[in-house]
Amino acid sequence: MKEQRLKPTLVNSLLMLPALLLLAIVFAWPLLDSAWLSTQASSVLTGLTPLANGGANWQRLLGDARFWQDAAVTLRFAGVSVALELLLGLAMALLLHQPSRGRGWLRALTLLPWALPTTVLALGWRWIYNDPYGPLNAILRACGAAPFGFLTTPASTWLFTVLADVWKTTPFVALLLLAGLQSIPAELEESLVLEGASPLQILRRLTLPLLRPWISLALLFRLAQALGVFDLVQVLTRGGPAGSTESLALYAYLNAMRFLDFGYSATLVIATFLLLVLLTALGWLLLRRRPLELS
Amino acid sequence: MKSLLLLWSLAPLAWQLYTSLVTPEALVQGGGVEAGAFWTLENYRQVWLADPPIWRYLLNSAVVGAATTALTLTLAVPCAYGLQRQGGRLGWLVTLALLATAIFPTVLLFLALLQLARALGLANNLLALSLPYAALCLPLAVLLLRAAFADLPPDLEDAARLEGLNLPRRLRHVLLPLLAPSLASTAILVFLFSWNEYPIALTWISRPELLTLPPAIARIAGSSLFTVPYGAFAAATVLGSLPLLLLVLIFQRSIVSGLTQGAIKG
Amino acid sequence: MAGSGARRRLTPGSVLAGLLLGLVLILVPAALLAKPVAAATTVRVLMPSPFVDATAALVAGFNRDHPNLKVEVARGPLDTEAMSDLAIGGLLLGDTGYDLLLMDVSWTAKYVAAGWLLPLEGLLGDNALEAMVPGARVGNAFGGHLWRMPLTGDTGLLYWRTDLMAAPPRSTQELEAVARRLQAEGKVRWGYVWQGRQYEGLSCVMLEMIHAFGGQWWQAGSGRAGGHTELDSAGAIAAADWLLHLVRTGVSPEAVADFAENEALQLFAAGDAAFLRNWPYAWREIEKGGGPVVGKVGVSTVVSAPGVTSGGTLGTWGLSLLAGSPNPEAAAEVIRWFTGPETQKALVLDQGYAPTWAVLYEDSELQQKHPLLAVQRQALEQGPLVRPLTPLYAQLSDLLQRQVNGLITAEGSAAAAMGRAQTQSAVLLESAAGQEHP
Repeated sequence: MKEQRLKPTLVNSLLMLPALLLLAIVFAWPLLDSAWLSTQASSVLTGLTPLANGGANWQRLLGDARFWQDAAVTLRFAGVSVALELLLGLAMALLLHQPSRGRGWLRALTLLPWALPTTVLALGWRWIYNDPYGPLNAILRACGAAPFGFLTTPASTWLFTVLADVWKTTPFVALLLLAGLQSIPAELEESLVLEGASPLQILRRLTLPLLRPWISLALLFRLAQALGVFDLVQVLTRGGPAGSTESLALYAYLNAMRFLDFGYSATLVIATFLLLVLLTALGWLLLRRRPLELS
Repeated sequence: MKSLLLLWSLAPLAWQLYTSLVTPEALVQGGGVEAGAFWTLENYRQVWLADPPIWRYLLNSAVVGAATTALTLTLAVPCAYGLQRQGGRLGWLVTLALLATAIFPTVLLFLALLQLARALGLANNLLALSLPYAALCLPLAVLLLRAAFADLPPDLEDAARLEGLNLPRRLRHVLLPLLAPSLASTAILVFLFSWNEYPIALTWISRPELLTLPPAIARIAGSSLFTVPYGAFAAATVLGSLPLLLLVLIFQRSIVSGLTQGAIKG
Repeated sequence: MAGSGARRRLTPGSVLAGLLLGLVLILVPAALLAKPVAAATTVRVLMPSPFVDATAALVAGFNRDHPNLKVEVARGPLDTEAMSDLAIGGLLLGDTGYDLLLMDVSWTAKYVAAGWLLPLEGLLGDNALEAMVPGARVGNAFGGHLWRMPLTGDTGLLYWRTDLMAAPPRSTQELEAVARRLQAEGKVRWGYVWQGRQYEGLSCVMLEMIHAFGGQWWQAGSGRAGGHTELDSAGAIAAADWLLHLVRTGVSPEAVADFAENEALQLFAAGDAAFLRNWPYAWREIEKGGGPVVGKVGVSTVVSAPGVTSGGTLGTWGLSLLAGSPNPEAAAEVIRWFTGPETQKALVLDQGYAPTWAVLYEDSELQQKHPLLAVQRQALEQGPLVRPLTPLYAQLSDLLQRQVNGLITAEGSAAAAMGRAQTQSAVLLESAAGQEHP
């Protein structure tokens, strides 16, 4: 037979090749292309054709107050929402792990916010936050309070954008942690129970240490996604008011699609990417002292 | 606790459903509307008959979803098999690359992919859109399927090889049937992803009649100049969520186990 | 348990089969839905939704009268920004599929610089704009070419309540005093509502206010960016300071920071405000709405600081010819017809937009049916304000919106906010200077 004459490594590589090729085109090439474009002036003033301009885009980036504000907004958004998601996700996972009737349904229903399109849900949240007709203001009214403009001031808009994100992505974190919980042998917990450990002690001494790899995974994944937050802010707030919810990704998008400045957009893309690499590497080092076991 | 969890997860969705079913007057005035003027299907009629109608977006999303799912599985199965059989340094490197791409936020690719679409004439083509989508889904799909391949008893394939079955036939007749549950949950997750993807669709599709659901909804959200028709918005969001809602509820076990199994093994 | 295991194995298998079947079922009709081949020359026009509705009957009539030339209108979104995003999305992909685009006046310079438009003077003649009201001719021709034929001549206007005052205020001081008095008397909840959201409407308000206080946003000059900004001038700071003052003292609600045209209009139409800044369309909307202020609304030109004469922001829509159009001559014919008096008359009556042709302002039927005509003409003759005519306008506008919206939603002084806006504009224009063709 033909395949026996080929080396196994060659066969395996050939099998992997088409998928890896597509991945290279869609992930590696864009990054290289954007990195190159970040050294070019390519905007409406150059008739949208690239002209080398050295480090001018990067120089502009360093002096761009809006870039720094957006970077701060993005970091703060990612930090706070990921922290909340991990906490809530852990609680949710513990709840979903408990044996009970209808557990499958409960899991599925809890998962819904994660499974539905972000733009659809962002539109929904915009209505929920509506001043004065949204349900939250209806509740406030019923309590005798004055209506509140949830998306009016920078501080509250930022807070309620985080809330919408937490609601949407916590189920995903919960699901990952649930997987972790399922991998913990039940006997371990039983033996601790026999020793007379309280549920809190079990959580601290057994569950959390063993969940650590899953928490790291969830953290890395969510951190990377949150640093690229785009769909939610684009539909819910469009970055306003006063740029208080403008993420780096949204700024990069606006530069390309509205300002027609591709060179600068690419610079922002690469800057965001570098930030992402830096932070995930940092998170990886902090949370995963031993190397990842992949085999 | 459980009812609290359900309330948290479902209340915002339930509010959309409610909004989509009542008249604008009822929405603004609450209970103070006469009985006949409270509930209505008018919002649904409106989005169903809009120009372009909402079913068009649903259809477009379904086309992209189906094409993406087919393409992803076609590429992911051999890759996962090869990766599982390979192991070693190369396998480790590939797995690492897959993990890195799996967590990568896709929005950072939009600029270069826009140029790609322009250069290759892939714009405004639903089937072409499934190319980047397949790439974005591949990391997860390969990792999930690799875990599934690792789960199969190794003797099985050896036995099939001794019987003289070549690789395609071994895959087709021996391995894949056993992998059906994993394939199904991978397929559903890929479909979910492509149904929900926004930034690439936003940049690759500019013709109104070819929009997929997420950019279409976002565009509706940005089009409220003279009125704020939240009832119609809500009806659109309900119709846009319904297919996924059914998918998640029907295949809840596949999705949950697919993700959790994949996470454990991956 | 074995049974349930078997069932579980079966179900996912059927999922796959179902997905593949679904693929086939979907692709076949999708292929069948492909565009039919057009027989006559077809000119495709993309415009915002309200224009599509207002001109539908006229377009049908045109197509009846011209067997060899079909106008096919595509419906864009309502919102200006959404419309711009849609158009740019298509143009960047090199796949618009349209010959003509109905554009806002503030896009023109950017589109020209991007090379997306074809000049019109060769097709429509050098004096195509001559029979228009002078104010409506602005912003269509520059760099020696005609880029756009205006379909409307809209400017910013001041709406006031005839039941609460005998005549409209003529200065910012007077407006504030009247508003305050009416609020104190309990006649209205709010004095003056305008557009304070972080979007293009705020830039239109700011342009009017800066000029109303004797400043200017843009000084045309040399270079590819075409000039420089003067946002830290005394007039510009006074403008921002006045808006801030209106919000801080409760003449305008804090919620103006989230108001676009529609929100401001709704509040005014509900009888909750004495003054409204809006476009001509608002008149028809208020009339159609049937609210408490119908028949009690007056319209006048916008106010300036005492001793300054200024105008309203020009917010016109016009048709441009997209590069790559396969039939420029046919498209030009459609432009000539579409921007002609007949269509404009329909738009005045249906949408309340201001016309551009001088002859329409003399039309007695129109004068009778549309009482706004006189003030619209006055606004156009008073010298309407054109937003900075530079390809970089979108950025300049965006960063000004950000600063002014930040000013009224958070802490800080007008001078500091406008100083930042000026610095950032200067940085932007400077970095643009380095992008010039050698």
